[in-house]
Amino acid sequence: MDKAYITRGVKRCSTPRFLLWIAPWAALLVFGIYCAGLCLVKGLNQTNMDNRFAFGLWIFLDLTVIALGAGAFFTGFLLYILKFKELKAVINSAVVIGLVCYSGAMAALMVDVGQPLRAWFTFWYPNVHSMLTEVTFCISCYLAVLLIEYLPIVLRNRKLREVPGFLVFEFELHKLIYVLAGVGTFLSFFHQGSLGGLYGVLRGRPFAFREGIFVWPSTFFLFILSAAAVGPSFIILTTSLVEKITKKRLVKRRAFDLLARISGLLLAVYVLAKTLDTLIWINRTSPAHGFTASQYYDWKPFGTWILFAEIVLCGMVPALILLTPRLRARRAWLISAAALACSGVALNRFVQTIQTLALPTLSFDKFLSYTPSWQETGTFLAVAAYGVLVYSFSFRYFQVFPEERELEAGAGRY
Amino acid sequence: MFPWNYGFHWGAASYLFLGAFYTVVAVVATTLLRALLRARRDLRGNRTERIRWHSDFNDLPAADRVCRHVLTGEFKHRECPHAFDCRECATHAKLMEHAKLMEHRPATTPGESESEIFGMQFPAGRYYHRGHAWARPESDGTVTIGLDDLGARLLGTPDAVVLPSAGTQVRANGTAFRVRRREADVRILSPVDGEVVETGGADRGYFLRVKPPAGGMDMRHLLSGAEVKPWLMREMERLQMTLTMEGGSVPSLADGGVPVRDIAAAYPRADWDAVCGEMFLEP
Repeated sequence: MDKAYITRGVKRCSTPRFLLWIAPWAALLVFGIYCAGLCLVKGLNQTNMDNRFAFGLWIFLDLTVIALGAGAFFTGFLLYILKFKELKAVINSAVVIGLVCYSGAMAALMVDVGQPLRAWFTFWYPNVHSMLTEVTFCISCYLAVLLIEYLPIVLRNRKLREVPGFLVFEFELHKLIYVLAGVGTFLSFFHQGSLGGLYGVLRGRPFAFREGIFVWPSTFFLFILSAAAVGPSFIILTTSLVEKITKKRLVKRRAFDLLARISGLLLAVYVLAKTLDTLIWINRTSPAHGFTASQYYDWKPFGTWILFAEIVLCGMVPALILLTPRLRARRAWLISAAALACSGVALNRFVQTIQTLALPTLSFDKFLSYTPSWQETGTFLAVAAYGVLVYSFSFRYFQVFPEERELEAGAGRY
Repeated sequence: MFPWNYGFHWGAASYLFLGAFYTVVAVVATTLLRALLRARRDLRGNRTERIRWHSDFNDLPAADRVCRHVLTGEFKHRECPHAFDCRECATHAKLMEHAKLMEHRPATTPGESESEIFGMQFPAGRYYHRGHAWARPESDGTVTIGLDDLGARLLGTPDAVVLPSAGTQVRANGTAFRVRRREADVRILSPVDGEVVETGGADRGYFLRVKPPAGGMDMRHLLSGAEVKPWLMREMERLQMTLTMEGGSVPSLADGGVPVRDIAAAYPRADWDAVCGEMFLEP
């Protein structure tokens, strides 16, 4: 039915089958929109957050998807600025993932902050000393950049490119895409850093507070590094997942290998930096605030296992796998390492958000526990459903993987 | 700073912070505007066809973008850097200076000698485009453009053909005319530049006659003579692969047979849109 809109020569499932695939995700999205609507109309009393536990599931989701979506800026930087041509095979997918992650995070933030009609206040009354202002400016600008980067992918649709205006605009925009890649790198770089910096400057929360360079705490740099490290891993993971679901090869192995090498190298540097930072925090920063590090890990379930899982299991182990040619050449090892790396960054963002707020800091404070309400969970799931839907439509109607046709042809050769 | 923002004071931090971000906004807006202006210039300058071909060419699989000198064995691997427009290629010019192929160039006068290759007619007096169109210089200075025998067999009896009207400008690698057969709707690439002076319908075999631009017709980018056979050999391989891939046939060994008159009718289950897209270089 929709064959005229599908790229020539690539195989896609039938329209009814596609509708069957998107139906549950669309239902989840509708439910999530209802949940978000409740929060916007009735207020944040619909959530289980309060003045003390002001950051919950949404901020964890926000930080995690922003980190995972870093593959978009980093792949763009590697391809258009550093000229790693192999990454042309995954750049469109990276842009779609980046767009989904950033727009999803922004939607969750809109619900979290509330009062969407006053969203423009942050631009009109900017507090230039606030990391949050930096975050807002960066996320807004970078989302605009991602939308512009997504435009050529849309305009390359078989039906749309029949319109001469769209064809030439796409062509000219693509020629200037390196400018957007550079701007995107700058914005995402500062955005990741500012998100990390948000926690690092919390003097009242010694678990999160870190020393640093000039106005930037160490978490500023650690967030950038960790995002750049797991971005390529997330691309490996999502591409492998799409290959598994569609039962076809979409990307040549050399692109995977390059992404794995880059991810492994950056992850190794991150693990080293994180270890140093943790040692400084344990031995200097935290004692100066009157806490021994062990006190943070007395509160179950936040034991020292988290530190081990974050640095060793989801940091050092995947870094070693990704840096070992023989291991990363095996698909199972590669995907496991990429999944571990992505879990590691999610765990780091969880610790920064939830553990920081759960731990008592004053003598009369209690250890707080927090479970998200169904409205919060529904909104969270809506972001995931939205991501699947945007990616599914993009994969069906746009050339997300330019090598797909060639690889299909290769598979046909006997 | 802004109206009604009374509490705002400019300081080093605000200069730095707002300066950086409004610069970013300005760069993004300028980039977008520049792309829009260039697009407008392209549309007004009739560059659409050139852009379409460049875009299509980059979308072709690497195996289809090979240099013509790979087909003749002069290079082992080489991707065409000029989107099949050898008129701009210094390497091609250098090779042609020495090539014996020059001796086999077709005569520029009419009167063709028949040449059968793999059971198909590829007259020696014509120049061939890799998108399965031919060009033949006529004695009155015009050039006739048509579909080569393999292209004609692929499309069989077309369901519809859209020919340009007289006076239309066509350019090499731009659209000459469009053909529809079954679910396939493909554009046939023009082998030469020029102005259409006459078109021929179904009764005369579809063709265009074009008047070359001032300065004469340059055919250096087209295949001719001894180049045609190796190119066609590769095309037959490509066709076989594509038919296998698109569900038209099971993998089989070539037995030396001749392509049937109407290949589309012979493979009713094949995705003909994909087959034609591949063979007529329209990804």
